[in-house]
Amino acid sequence: MSVPPAVMRRVMRELSELEKNPPEGIRMQMNDEDMLDVTGIIAGPEGTPYSGGYFKVKFKFTDEFPAAPPKCWFGTKIFHPNVGANGEICVNTLKKDWKSTYGIGHILVTVKCLLIYPNPESALDEEAGKLLLEDYQSYCNRAKLITSVHATPRVKPVEFNKPSAQELEATKSKSENDGAKDATAKPVAASASESSSQRAASTSKLSAPTTTTLTLPAPASLTSTLPLPPILAPYAMPILTRKSASPAPPMSLKASLSSDKEGLGVGPQKDRHPSPSPLGTADANVGGGKPGMGVGIGMASTAGLGGVTGTKAVKRAATGTAVSGAEKRKKALKRL
Amino acid sequence: MAESSNAANQMDIDETAIDEGLYSRQLYVLGHEAMKKMAASNVLIVGMSGLGVEIAKNIVLAGVKTVTIFDPAPVTVQDLSSQFFLRAGDIGKARAAATLPRLAELNAYVPVRDLGGKAGDEVTVALIKGFHVVVLCGVSYKKQLEINNWTHENGVHFIAAETRGLFGSAFNDFGPKFTCVDPTGEQPLSGMIVSVDKDKEGVVTCLDETRHGLEDGDYVTFSEVQGMTELNGCEPRKITVKGPYTFSIGDTSGLSDYKTGGIFSQVKMPKLLDFKPLTESLKSPEFFITDFAKFDRPAILHAGFQAISEFESLHNRSPRPRNDEDADEIVALAKQLDSDADEKVLKEMAYQATGDLSPMNAVLGGFVAQEVLKACSAKFHPTFQHMYFDSLESLPNNLPTEADVQPIGSRYDGQIAVFGKSFQDKIASHRQFLVGSGAIGCEMLKNWSLMGVGSGPDGIIHVTDLDTIEKSNLNRQFLFRAKDLGHFKAEVAAAAVAEMNPDLKGKILAKQEPVGPATENIYDEAFFAGIDGVTNALDNVKARLYMDQRCVFYRKPLLESGTLGTKGNTQVIIPNLTESYASSQDPPEKETPSCTIKNFPNAINHTIEWSRTQFDHLFVKPAQASNAYLSEPNYLESTLKYSGQQKEQVEQIVSFLVTNKPLTFEECIIWARLQFERDYNNDIRQLLFSLPKDAVTSTGQPFWSGPKRAPEPLVFNSSEPTHLEYVIAAANLHAFNYGLRGDNNPALFRKVVDSVIVPEFTPRSGVKVQINDSDPVPAAEGSTDDDPEDLTSKLPSPSSLAGYRLNPCEFEKDDDTNHHIDFITAASNLRAMNYNITPADKHTTKQIAGKIIPAIATTTSLVTGMVCLELYKIIDGKNKLEDYKNGFVNLALPFFGFSEPIAAAKSKYGETEWTLWDRFEFSNDPTLAEIQQFFEENHKLTITMVSQGVSMLWNPWIGKKKSDERLHMKFSALVEHVSKKPIPPHVNYLIVEVMVSDEDDEDVEVPFIVVRI
Repeated sequence: MSVPPAVMRRVMRELSELEKNPPEGIRMQMNDEDMLDVTGIIAGPEGTPYSGGYFKVKFKFTDEFPAAPPKCWFGTKIFHPNVGANGEICVNTLKKDWKSTYGIGHILVTVKCLLIYPNPESALDEEAGKLLLEDYQSYCNRAKLITSVHATPRVKPVEFNKPSAQELEATKSKSENDGAKDATAKPVAASASESSSQRAASTSKLSAPTTTTLTLPAPASLTSTLPLPPILAPYAMPILTRKSASPAPPMSLKASLSSDKEGLGVGPQKDRHPSPSPLGTADANVGGGKPGMGVGIGMASTAGLGGVTGTKAVKRAATGTAVSGAEKRKKALKRL
Repeated sequence: MAESSNAANQMDIDETAIDEGLYSRQLYVLGHEAMKKMAASNVLIVGMSGLGVEIAKNIVLAGVKTVTIFDPAPVTVQDLSSQFFLRAGDIGKARAAATLPRLAELNAYVPVRDLGGKAGDEVTVALIKGFHVVVLCGVSYKKQLEINNWTHENGVHFIAAETRGLFGSAFNDFGPKFTCVDPTGEQPLSGMIVSVDKDKEGVVTCLDETRHGLEDGDYVTFSEVQGMTELNGCEPRKITVKGPYTFSIGDTSGLSDYKTGGIFSQVKMPKLLDFKPLTESLKSPEFFITDFAKFDRPAILHAGFQAISEFESLHNRSPRPRNDEDADEIVALAKQLDSDADEKVLKEMAYQATGDLSPMNAVLGGFVAQEVLKACSAKFHPTFQHMYFDSLESLPNNLPTEADVQPIGSRYDGQIAVFGKSFQDKIASHRQFLVGSGAIGCEMLKNWSLMGVGSGPDGIIHVTDLDTIEKSNLNRQFLFRAKDLGHFKAEVAAAAVAEMNPDLKGKILAKQEPVGPATENIYDEAFFAGIDGVTNALDNVKARLYMDQRCVFYRKPLLESGTLGTKGNTQVIIPNLTESYASSQDPPEKETPSCTIKNFPNAINHTIEWSRTQFDHLFVKPAQASNAYLSEPNYLESTLKYSGQQKEQVEQIVSFLVTNKPLTFEECIIWARLQFERDYNNDIRQLLFSLPKDAVTSTGQPFWSGPKRAPEPLVFNSSEPTHLEYVIAAANLHAFNYGLRGDNNPALFRKVVDSVIVPEFTPRSGVKVQINDSDPVPAAEGSTDDDPEDLTSKLPSPSSLAGYRLNPCEFEKDDDTNHHIDFITAASNLRAMNYNITPADKHTTKQIAGKIIPAIATTTSLVTGMVCLELYKIIDGKNKLEDYKNGFVNLALPFFGFSEPIAAAKSKYGETEWTLWDRFEFSNDPTLAEIQQFFEENHKLTITMVSQGVSMLWNPWIGKKKSDERLHMKFSALVEHVSKKPIPPHVNYLIVEVMVSDEDDEDVEVPFIVVRI
């Protein structure tokens, strides 16, 4: 395939940016021989059944890129309602909502968001969709199992050895705040995780204790950073209450790789007429809603770090495993 | 006359009479309804010069009942300037008689007749009786009035048209009561709705922020509305647009309360037009504006054309080319009609009155032919009523002298009258590369041949097309005949136009090699050095982008054009002046999310997309995989391992090669019957098991609502036509995979399918999940299945089946006997039945599944003419933006629009401005370090990334060792090192892209780099 120079130039720019400032929990595998042979690796976000896994997302650029979206699929087996048996991903960003200003980073962040907010209403894997709707715990268990079998390497991919700017910054501020954190965060985190380990079996909607909203470090610049949405712990973000308890991202996904105003296409849709099910489109899911509405919502960073700046109690209801928050933080720190 | 017209309309034209194979692409423009009306229409064309034959050609290709021509005047050498069906040997014969045989062989379904007559005979009212449409080409106004007076009174549709040099005119009178059934030709819009206000002004809101696309005054009706059920199937209601997602349908206060659901569908309302007769219209004309930058021109041309006609009546001759005496008289005559008319334009009209240009005839001929089809079919909006067009700006910057434009007794006299002999020589010396020899390509070659492009000693035409001629091409690629089927397009077209103008014998080089990276050894630097410009006549964006890239690199002018049904566009790309083709592109069509296709279709295009994929899944991929297993050593180990779906693939190969391999056609029928069960019953039941009809979403809304339509499993019934059609197509395709002989006898199928024992289906009841860490880990998926190793053991060893191969189907939409479209239609419609979606017929399904671009000869002819009008400017070497025009047309509305090309965008590094036409050049195969140094020293720019083709040659994070190594390699060695591919011997330069930053560490855009090796 002969790629127009302008397109090559753009891909080159993007890859360079992704290499320099990868989004949290996302890394690239590149191939000097063929720059278009791009693979993203998404670390399963903590607090989701995909945590601990590393998921390859493959790209194939068509002649019409960037006017048309690249083909994009999971190269790692995953149990997820919006991912088909062949790895196909059902997300509007890759189809009807595609904008030529979107890039590789944007797609990867979107897919990562999909891991956090699966959308049973645009199910490709209807069994996963059914489970997610009917029996969240079973869905979690199943997803976790598949993650452990297919997506969990003995050692994490080398690409993750180098932390992203955000992750670095997070570590820095973390160590600065460590004292304060130890004093305040620990007890809450401990108690939270105790209760969570029991809750793991009982699955209740609003059982998560009150948690404080975490503040992610502000992006350095609109184009150079890919801030990630905060993660909602699964119990705190029960599928069944998503409408009323919209997640409260402290910063919108709009500031994604592209400078496109619509970002993930959620914000500006607010004043349009909503469909009867506001989550009807896969995208509607990943953008979050109005800030400050979250009740009983746990927030956590996705960086593989225990806590991030200013977090008093980061709830990560470990899916089925009873690891205390403190222990987990330690582990995460070790990984760095 | 009226009687015979009615008789024709009443004639029962069987739908099968329309040859869908031949008219395929055009049917997608006009539809069966319009084609049937055309098939009942008799058309008369008076005047068989360049314009008349162009119109006749387009109408014969389009397909009407009969075409009759009239022109007893003897052929002159000047006629050869634009009359492509006349030859030097025809000089002296009657024009119509000489044209007839070549016109008649264009379309076997359209009888062409000649009204005969002897030289000097004029058309009379007596001659035009019995025709539905009469077209007068180049007939005096006096005669036009005489004929029109009769046609207006007698319900005959009248069109008059003429071209004089770079000026053209057309006039319609379709009578006082002409009903146009479809003024736009656009597909009626439809969409799902989510609410209807019960109000004096009932506002309808569309689902999911989908734009309704309607305009004020459109009409809609509804279906599937719950609650306000009075709307379902209601009389069309006129709408007012309230917003992109809302529109009002007037008073709904008397209706029931709206509950949920519903689909609006636009209804096309017929439009009644009252045409004035020519006598009145000449006095108070209504103009169709063809160029808004020249909005005063139609009035000038209106007077000018009449004045020239008047002059000819007075003097019994035409005004002499560039003769001021004659021109002054014409100005005076025109001023009597319109005292405001611009003198300069009138003079040019007079100067060019004997001019006869193939491109102008192509523009007018395409346009008028579409008007004829509108008159026959009532499809699309006719021009109301006068159309004037000119391309005065195509004249050379240095205008020819009177001496230079005198006829010299050559076939180019019609062109020389406008441009002069010296410019004719320039045209003859021109060297063009025509990429594509399809619809646009054939028309282009025809125009070039008549213009004499490349006919001189220094001139040349290169033409390439990889395709061979197919039946559906014959409907508009008019250089091809049935006897040429299967031959290479470029060769046949080149031979045809060299026969048209023998000056081109040996001057047209036809090739089959498509343009692309693989043929850069053929279309290399020397090749591009030998041409003056490139004309694209392509049908895909990829090749267009590629040629654009090459033209930018070699700095060659590029003429670009395309058509879509009645719409067309042209673009001129001039080096160091305009932007390039790639600079602005239409957004591609939005794709449908995969889950909609897989589980939640709500429109027929969703089910068609699904069934197209089914076709691959059932008849292409398994056979390919089986063959790969049989032919590629270690296929399982090497290929499958990395696919992530090893088990499924192995299962499939086992099934195709062993467990379900059919030995007889009956077994194929059984297979098809079971496939029916699986796809239209079992899978639907499984989906409903997972997501029952009463499932609710997180918000308590019914899951199956809005765009999600709950499916219903189908119960097989061999007397349901679609069910049986599915089995017939699927069984035949399965048999094809195995090289078994198929069958089409429904009785056989019924017999077999009715005896098939279909296994009972129980939905898989959920997946086993591990609840606690301590529980045993269930097998990754479907615990009962064999693991891949066991499965593999079931496979026969490739050696045991040496030479055995399956036949994968190769999707071919245009073969009516191969069952491909039959299968896709049946599969799509079965799925549509599952989801209660209105099914689509085979014709519609074929267009969507085959991604067929509608096409009609009229648009192609016109667009190609417009391209050639720009070619005159390129040959003249015009170098100002305002000299050139990009065009946009839609013959259906009709609409013409022109714009100046957009200037190439300027960027800047340091103080240097640059555009896409600039580049850095390095010679002697330098090292990357040398290039780095050049940028540092000369531009204070630091290179941060380097790429060539798809290879990333250098970036800061490759590590010091690699970096040192790569920086100091010769460039060619570096490229081979990274790409791991040798540079082909014919390559003597490399195009390199770099990213650089300035002293403030800011990214700066710089032109690309050419490295000579």
